[in-house]
Amino acid sequence: MHDDTITPPLILGGKSNRDVTNDIAAPLERNPGQMWWIAFIISFSVMMLGVVAVWYQIATGIGTWGLNKTVGWAFDITNFVFWVGIGHAGTLISAILFLLRQKWRTSMNRAAEAMTLIAVICAGLFPVIHMGRPWLAYWVFPYPNMRGPLWVNFRSPLLWDVFAIGTYFTISAVFWYVGLIPDLATMRDRAKTVFRKTLYRVMSLGWSGSQRTWWRYEVVYLLLASLATPLVVSVHSVVSFDFATAMVPGWHTTIFPPYFVIGAIFSGFAMVMSLMLIARSALDFGAYITQRHVDAVCRVIVFGSCIVGFAYSTELFIAWYSGNEFEQFAFLNRVRGPMSWAYFIMVSCNVVIPQLLWSQRVRNSALLVFIITIAVNIGMWFERFVIIVTSIHRDFLPSSWADYTPTLVEFATLIGSFGLFFTLFLLFCRLFPFIAASEVKAILPRDTEGVH
Amino acid sequence: MTSSSGQNYWMSIDSLGDQSLETPQSESPDGSQPVSPESDSGWSRRSFLRAAGFGGAGAVVAGCSPAPIKKAIPFLVQPEEIVPGRAYYYASTCAGCSAGCGMMVKNRDGRPIKLEGFRGAGGTMDRSHPVSGGGLCSVGQASLLGLYDSKRFKNPQLKGKDSDYSKIDAELSSRFAAGKIWVLTATITSPSTRRRLEQFLAKHPGSEHVVYDEQSCSALLDAHDRAFGQRVLPRYRFERADVIVGVGCDFLGTWVSPVEFAAGYAKGREKNAGETAWHAQVEGTMSLTGTKADLRVVKTEREQIRLIGTLAGMLARRAGVSPPQGLPNAKPDANLKSLEAKLWGARGKSIVVSGVQHAGTQVAVAFINDLLGNYGQTLDIESPSFQRQGDDHGIQRLTSAMAAGGVETLIIHDLNPLYDLPDAAGFAKAMKSVGTVISTSSAPNETSAAATVICPEPHFLERWDDAIPVKGALCLTQPAISTTTLFKTRSFRDSLAAWAGDKTDDLAFRKAHLSKTVDWRAASHANFESFWSAAVHDGVVEMPSKVAPLGKFKSTALKGLSWPSAQAADGFEVILNEKVGMPSGRHAHNAWLQELPDPITKMSWGNAALFGVAAAAELRISDGDIVAIRTKDLVIEIPAKAQPGQHDDVISIAIGYGRSGTERFAKVGPDWIEARPTVAADGVVGVNAAPLAVWEDGLLRRTRMVTVEKTGRHIDFALSQTYDSIDLPANTAPGEDRRRNIVHETTTGALAAKGCDDHARHRGDVDLWTDDHANNLPHWGMAIDLNRCTGCSACVVACQVENNIPVVGHDEVRRRRDMHWIRIDRYYSGDPEKPEDVDVIHQPMMCHHCDNAPCETVCPVLATVHSEEGLNQQVYNRCVGTRYCANNCPYKVRRFNWFDYSREDRLQNMVLNPDIAVRSRGVMEKCSFCVQRIQAAKNESKRTGVEIFDGQIQPACVQTCPTEAIVFGDVKKADSAITKANADPLHFKVLEELNVKPSVGYRTLVRNRKVKGE
Repeated sequence: MHDDTITPPLILGGKSNRDVTNDIAAPLERNPGQMWWIAFIISFSVMMLGVVAVWYQIATGIGTWGLNKTVGWAFDITNFVFWVGIGHAGTLISAILFLLRQKWRTSMNRAAEAMTLIAVICAGLFPVIHMGRPWLAYWVFPYPNMRGPLWVNFRSPLLWDVFAIGTYFTISAVFWYVGLIPDLATMRDRAKTVFRKTLYRVMSLGWSGSQRTWWRYEVVYLLLASLATPLVVSVHSVVSFDFATAMVPGWHTTIFPPYFVIGAIFSGFAMVMSLMLIARSALDFGAYITQRHVDAVCRVIVFGSCIVGFAYSTELFIAWYSGNEFEQFAFLNRVRGPMSWAYFIMVSCNVVIPQLLWSQRVRNSALLVFIITIAVNIGMWFERFVIIVTSIHRDFLPSSWADYTPTLVEFATLIGSFGLFFTLFLLFCRLFPFIAASEVKAILPRDTEGVH
Repeated sequence: MTSSSGQNYWMSIDSLGDQSLETPQSESPDGSQPVSPESDSGWSRRSFLRAAGFGGAGAVVAGCSPAPIKKAIPFLVQPEEIVPGRAYYYASTCAGCSAGCGMMVKNRDGRPIKLEGFRGAGGTMDRSHPVSGGGLCSVGQASLLGLYDSKRFKNPQLKGKDSDYSKIDAELSSRFAAGKIWVLTATITSPSTRRRLEQFLAKHPGSEHVVYDEQSCSALLDAHDRAFGQRVLPRYRFERADVIVGVGCDFLGTWVSPVEFAAGYAKGREKNAGETAWHAQVEGTMSLTGTKADLRVVKTEREQIRLIGTLAGMLARRAGVSPPQGLPNAKPDANLKSLEAKLWGARGKSIVVSGVQHAGTQVAVAFINDLLGNYGQTLDIESPSFQRQGDDHGIQRLTSAMAAGGVETLIIHDLNPLYDLPDAAGFAKAMKSVGTVISTSSAPNETSAAATVICPEPHFLERWDDAIPVKGALCLTQPAISTTTLFKTRSFRDSLAAWAGDKTDDLAFRKAHLSKTVDWRAASHANFESFWSAAVHDGVVEMPSKVAPLGKFKSTALKGLSWPSAQAADGFEVILNEKVGMPSGRHAHNAWLQELPDPITKMSWGNAALFGVAAAAELRISDGDIVAIRTKDLVIEIPAKAQPGQHDDVISIAIGYGRSGTERFAKVGPDWIEARPTVAADGVVGVNAAPLAVWEDGLLRRTRMVTVEKTGRHIDFALSQTYDSIDLPANTAPGEDRRRNIVHETTTGALAAKGCDDHARHRGDVDLWTDDHANNLPHWGMAIDLNRCTGCSACVVACQVENNIPVVGHDEVRRRRDMHWIRIDRYYSGDPEKPEDVDVIHQPMMCHHCDNAPCETVCPVLATVHSEEGLNQQVYNRCVGTRYCANNCPYKVRRFNWFDYSREDRLQNMVLNPDIAVRSRGVMEKCSFCVQRIQAAKNESKRTGVEIFDGQIQPACVQTCPTEAIVFGDVKKADSAITKANADPLHFKVLEELNVKPSVGYRTLVRNRKVKGE
């Protein structure tokens, strides 16, 4: 373990176990404040805007999006990949950092996992609504039917997505919920009203807090962490296959699986940081989410930024090195074509701006860190947009080249997905302990350690 | 009613009585027991559930069906010939224009659903029509929709109110007596209609007949009158020509008889190996014909006229004839010298043809053809053409007669002068003094709106007709649906008969007239009846004709002609041209033709003022900017577009737009929040450019000098292709050579020097995959000859009709969501700022039915799969609409149903092909190689036991192609046409390097030149 005299403790303020429980349960036990209500009403309204947009689109047709016979995917799949990517940080923090015994994760893993789940819900929406006939979406599941040989196509990356996302969502949900059980039991024990008591009793699955329970819990948690770990790599690799196995220049790229995974972690950490910074001030968790946490996450972001930048340059290099005229054109078109503005947003937000985080002074400023993480999120959205749209809008036959202009319905759907995200996240803050109290207690700086 | 003890109880006296009847039923005659366990019981649990389930399901089904069928009347008497669900073909003649192309009308269940190119009698696939061979153009294909036009007149009209023919005839008989009658018609190629008209005119002495064509060839006819004393249109035999020089004449696209000319042209371009006709086109803008030219000489119309005059002089000197006085005599440049040399070298085997409406030009062209000895060779005068008979002088006489008040009755047949005359307003004003105006227009138009009486003409699929479009070919039109099934129409011939008081039955009249005037014995028939039934069955009869040859060219003909000065006037020279698919306003009501992208500009739903690329840049006009075109007496506001290959002093505008009645298209296309209407409020489709034409020396000149101003307003065009060049943009091209190798192109010079680059050589040499389609079934493939393809787009409309492809409207086309399954990619090469440097490539593009189809692997639900016969099949019912297949298609040929496209016009829905599903929203679709036709042929083969022969199966595009550019068949058959085409060293596949193994290939485009500009 680290030396406490050099590295500041993970949890500040000399909190006792009771303090931790009180602090973390406090937001759940008081009535929501004005800020929460304002945030919730805004998020909910924005979500409803998205609901109206999606309803209108399903009732009228995909034609209400700006797609055309050349550009068959744009905002829809961009949003999908973006949200799946956001989810990754949660799993990485909770599973991989757990296995690596990174104790600083405890202040953030609960919220990050919740973010994962919510982001996957947002992501899962898009493959369904992007279909021309979403009411038949269940056809992508290989369920037994009486249609003879007509089944799903196991060669299609979209089908792999179904499995990848399905597995990911299931494991993440179980992992998150299992981690919640001790805290739910705490909430149950603290509950004063019958309703709350019943609610948390049901949810805590009869947790007794006995030695045996704890022992079983730790084993299950460890196993689930091990199960979830490969998913961090697999899910976005599979998502990247949607493009990598296609033959469109700019999509057909072997670098995509690692490139997408690192991009996902990069964007996910940025999103975690944005959320943590908001929660820290809104929920008064300054003692739990400390500068050490911010520093750690910022380092991951800088690392991600460098790798993503490396991936961008590798793509360009390989395009040149391949000698393939279509490949070369695809990348020249990305950089200098009619949509080069999107490419430059992507590069500046993902590669240039995050470099500021090398500076301790920047990392110390919550505002600057917040702005940078938002920039990374914008940049990562544009990365997917650039990959999807600039590749297909000008591919093999110049006769079919077309431009893409999004419609209001698409914007409303994109914004609406953020509304959904924040609505669910705000509900999570009200319903579940935001920080894994039981885990935090395990890493409290002990008096005995601190004194001697 | 079975108790547990097995004892039967009766519930009522009635049921007791039934017992005696039931008992024997429960036992089979042979004594065996029925299988059903509850056979001897009444309501068991199972049967109750079964009945309840059936009843419930039935109730749900009944509740879901949108409207119960209230009236379903079976045929009281089953029509003799009709087998429900079976298609019948009738040979007939297209009347979409006056060219008289042969066609087959496909009838299903008593209604015509498709027009096809002509095929010989007896199930052969001979493309043997004396006029059109076997092709049908886009207009012909689309004219079917006119039959089911719900905006047609449903009844005859008298003074704007529905009436009936007896009332109208009674009313008119008094009016006819009141004064002089003038009859204004378009070219009438029907001998019996002409006869009826003559009878009518004879009955009313002093009446006059004026013929006028909106696509006038008056100057050409006049020139032959002047030079040879015969007002005839020679038949241009392009197949016989080695050198073709077209001057301002779009003979492959819109001029006189484009199907006939394109077929001949394609044959002439494909002589023995290495020999192909040489084609030079002198024109001001880029015409369809110009796109095929080996040498394009870009001139304003004034310069074209002077060039012809100069050329006539040069050739005269070469021939040792002293050139007539007064001809323009410009200093010959390299192009002119080359034209002269080539023409002189191909005496008797060349054609000079001009569409310029200028007396001197046409006389000079006749002079040149005469000098070269082309008359009787390439210009057929044995069987001259009657496809254009209009006389521009006539309509001017009519206008002045009307203005002078000397016209009591005016009958306007098959024309819309209030729309297409340059001085339509003047004509309308003069027409006010006419007592009675009778229009035979079948749908409301500008002229019918001003008519007192409307006797709507039936569609040509509803009436009997005959035509002699060229001497020696009697073409018959037979009704595929009766004249009164849809609307109360009456043919012009019947009207004339009624007005002349002749009660002879039309059939008897026609037969009597034809038996007297047509040389049916020459067609080797014993009697007229057998000739007649053969003619009706075959649709056409050829009779060798004997015509006196043209006389000697009268040397005086070239005297006294006016020629334009060498000095250009200020401003732009506007040239009114015609668009393929919308050659005149005649078919402006046709949504298929409105949606058809123009093969040059790729624009649908409208027209534009086209500028030279450099001129547009200099004026700072970008595409879609609305400009005001000014002459001294009028202003026309029209959006502008730059056109590569066009002269910088020329503005060209397509006529045929701005027709009244096109307001109806306002609602075409889906309705959603960001939708823009196809037609602006109170607007029409496009702008009418007819007022820019002028009368000059009695001829309708489609050119004049104008000035241009910008208005600052802008519209967006509906373009189906927005990147026009074969070259990549300079800033994103990976190398020096910006051209993508998707169209192979070479020159005869290069071929002679180096031989061809044999692309077929290495095809399939190395393959890591085993052949997973190994079977003995056919493998369908297609080959398209880019030399034969003229880009005429007949295939596009044919495919649209055959496959129930919806019309989506201006806004959707603008959003690049047109639905055509086959498109024609048009690329420019060369420097767009140098008009003569611009070459054009037409490349038809449809689903390539790849053997390694990229679309198939990515569909999550197997909605697109490969058939054992090599077809890439789209299963509409299974499609969930992820569009992944379209993204992954390198040819971008998949079409997505973005909306539910409107099918609200019930009458128009009659045109739908019942063999093809109408696709719903959210479903992908694409070319199927007309799998329904393959299936029909296979069924037929199974039924009759006769093996399918090569060429029997013809997808709609193949069938209609005027130049036979597309070959379809089984690539596994060693001797099939497709196998031969694939083995051609010039054959190539597009994007072959992707190894998707497309089933569609192309023949390298070979331009007949050593180097560019030769």
